[in-house]
Amino acid sequence: MPAAQRLSLFLRKSFMWAWLDTICQYRRSRIGPFWETINVTVMIAGLTLVSSAVFGGNLIGHMGYIGAGVIAWSAISALITEGPSIFVRYGSLITNTNIDVDVYVGRTVFKIMITFAHHLIIYAVAVACLIVPFGWNSLLALPGIALVFANGYWLATVLAFVCARFRDVELIVRNLLQLAFFVTPVFWDYTQVAADRRFIVDYNVLFHFLEIIRAPLLGEVPAARNYAVVAAVTVVGSVLAFVVRRRMRRELAYFV
Amino acid sequence: MTYVRLSKANVEIPVYDSHSLRLIKLPSFRRSKVGTQTITRAGGVMRMHALKDLDLDLAEGDRVCIIGHNGAGKTTLLRLIAQIYSATSGVVDISGRVFALLGASLTLNPDATGYENISLVAAIQDWPAECVPDYVRNIEEFTELGEYLSLPTRVYSAGMLMRLAVALATLRAPDILLIDEGIGAGDADFQRKMQARVQQFVGRAKILLLASHSRELCRALCNKALLLSKGRAVYFGGVEEGFAEYGKLSH
Repeated sequence: MPAAQRLSLFLRKSFMWAWLDTICQYRRSRIGPFWETINVTVMIAGLTLVSSAVFGGNLIGHMGYIGAGVIAWSAISALITEGPSIFVRYGSLITNTNIDVDVYVGRTVFKIMITFAHHLIIYAVAVACLIVPFGWNSLLALPGIALVFANGYWLATVLAFVCARFRDVELIVRNLLQLAFFVTPVFWDYTQVAADRRFIVDYNVLFHFLEIIRAPLLGEVPAARNYAVVAAVTVVGSVLAFVVRRRMRRELAYFV
Repeated sequence: MTYVRLSKANVEIPVYDSHSLRLIKLPSFRRSKVGTQTITRAGGVMRMHALKDLDLDLAEGDRVCIIGHNGAGKTTLLRLIAQIYSATSGVVDISGRVFALLGASLTLNPDATGYENISLVAAIQDWPAECVPDYVRNIEEFTELGEYLSLPTRVYSAGMLMRLAVALATLRAPDILLIDEGIGAGDADFQRKMQARVQQFVGRAKILLLASHSRELCRALCNKALLLSKGRAVYFGGVEEGFAEYGKLSH
């Protein structure tokens, strides 16, 4: 089977599974994944309030910046938090069926993507209320989202394998994610960082991922540097995932 | 060509306890003492020698029941052939599409209905979409689950889950079908249906491996028996003789 056809089949299977899981989530509670959208909304409201009080300036400006930032961050953080538990959760299927293990990762990434799509309603409201501008630049958010989720796939693969083998890594990842939220400019403006301290932003990989979604949502064009870093990480990460998968695939059924 | 060939296949399963599943290990003061024929400890990880120097050569038409005591290596052998486990040493050469039915349930989302799970399994197993309506009709007929198929599989009884799983596994006649024990535990009526269905499938000259304790089921479905004891093959041949050997082993 040609690689392109295999890829499209794989995407179809993964998406179908994620879609079915989403439908079931709606059955259990009428608003389904919108619960998480409510979470995100509350987070935006709280952070906007605090940040405008601490840093001063206009509330609407803060709201747009923080809103776009928190929405973009929600995708990044969901990919990092859910990655580690993928294989552990499907342990009984892994040991009892010969389903291709990549489908479990694909399902999870698509599930996060569908939930993320729900959050875009916050953005639509913000556009309607003229909190953020909408124009051609905004469309750049789409490739940004695609790049974040493509990277989410390799990251989830690595985390799923490593955390199935070493169960304590998941806790380490969660703690680091918490720290990452504070050191990444989600609720604070990176342009206000002193020039001699800019390295804390520039060397933060997550910042570049955040920017390729956030800047377009705010009607701006991300810097070329952002795309360059993301492209480099995509290549390095994919190679890493390939190596990890090759080394650990054989033994996966023993650790789940 | 469908075949299963194992030559001097060994499977050593690393046993990860709560200690060895950690990246950052604190010194442990309690070391369990193990060192038997089957379990060894090397480099901090216990290894269970689940299959030892196994040779097996199966061709089309072979319907083999795998018998032996609990822990003899029956499920490990099925997992090896399903390529869920890989051999530590030896050669494993398998040709043909394998379908493994090792747990009694094949539901990918217990909150989804029977119908939804069928469609998802169909997609994941690459079944052509245009055949799915036929498959669904076939499954409705075989499982006799009726309106239960419209309910979440979470509410199914063990027997109902098994009916669905067997229906799915035998639907498209895979080249090699692996069934683990417990599957034959349905009621008498279902057992009869299952036998008829598997026989129909085997009529198309494919390979069946069935791990079971049920003599009647093995007799009805299989033409060969493989007796395992402590990870080694101690007998391979006729079903009746296999059970006779198994009886001797118990005494």
